[in-house]
Amino acid sequence: MTHYELLFVIKPTHTQEEIDAHIANVKASIEKDGGVIAATQNMGMRKLAYEVEKHNRGYYTAYYFTAKPATIIEVERLIRINESILKFMTVKYAKKKEIIAWETAVKRLNNPHSAKEEAVAPKVEVAPEATADSEA
Amino acid sequence: MAEKRKYKKRYCKYCETKTDYIDFKNVSSFKFSLSERFKIMPRRLTGNCKRHQDMVTIAIKRARQTAMIPYIVDRQNVVTNPFEGL
Ligand SMILES: [Zn+2]
Repeated sequence: MTHYELLFVIKPTHTQEEIDAHIANVKASIEKDGGVIAATQNMGMRKLAYEVEKHNRGYYTAYYFTAKPATIIEVERLIRINESILKFMTVKYAKKKEIIAWETAVKRLNNPHSAKEEAVAPKVEVAPEATADSEA
Repeated sequence: MAEKRKYKKRYCKYCETKTDYIDFKNVSSFKFSLSERFKIMPRRLTGNCKRHQDMVTIAIKRARQTAMIPYIVDRQNVVTNPFEGL
C-alpha cells in the first residue's frame, strides 16, 4: 500500500447533487480495489487561474488515501473518460518525510481544531462575480 | 531594483520553519516565490536553499497544472488582482 493524494476539479455547470455523485464515484473507484481513504479535503467552488474548456470556475476536492499502485491506473482511467472532471492530479508520497507530511495533513483534516498552525480552512469561495462567468 | 531590495536578507524561509513538504494546494505558502507575472523567482533572489527551491518548484508546477495559479500573465490574459483568493 502506498500513500497517495488525489485532487480533481469538477465542472461548475452541475448541480450540487451531481457534484456529490461524481465525488462519490471517484471515492468508489478508489475503494473498489482495497484503497482506504484517510481524509477528504473539500475545497469547494474556486475560481480557475485560467480557462479550462471554457469554464472559469471549478469544484475542487482532494482525497488522501492509501492504495495499491494498480488502483491508481484504474482510477485515473475512469477520471480521464469522465467528461465532468476538468483537471486531476495524483501525488505519490514515497519518502519517509513525505509520508509524515501526509499523516499530518490527514490529522489536520480529520480534526481541524487541534492543529494550531495555520489550519488551512477549506476556502469555500462563493465567487461574487458568479454571474459574469460564462456557464457554457 | 525594488525587487532586489525586497529580497535583501538571504536566508531560506523553509529551513527556518523546518518544512519537509510543501503542499501545492496551499497556494499562499509559496506566493513569495512567484513574481508578479507568476514566474518562479530564482533562488538568488528569494534565498531559498537548493533543497527547498526544488520543493517549491514542484509545488508551483503542480498548482499550475490544476489551474490554481496561472502559467503566464500577459497583456492578452490580464488578471486584475492576481493574488485574490489565494
Ligand atoms: Zn531550505
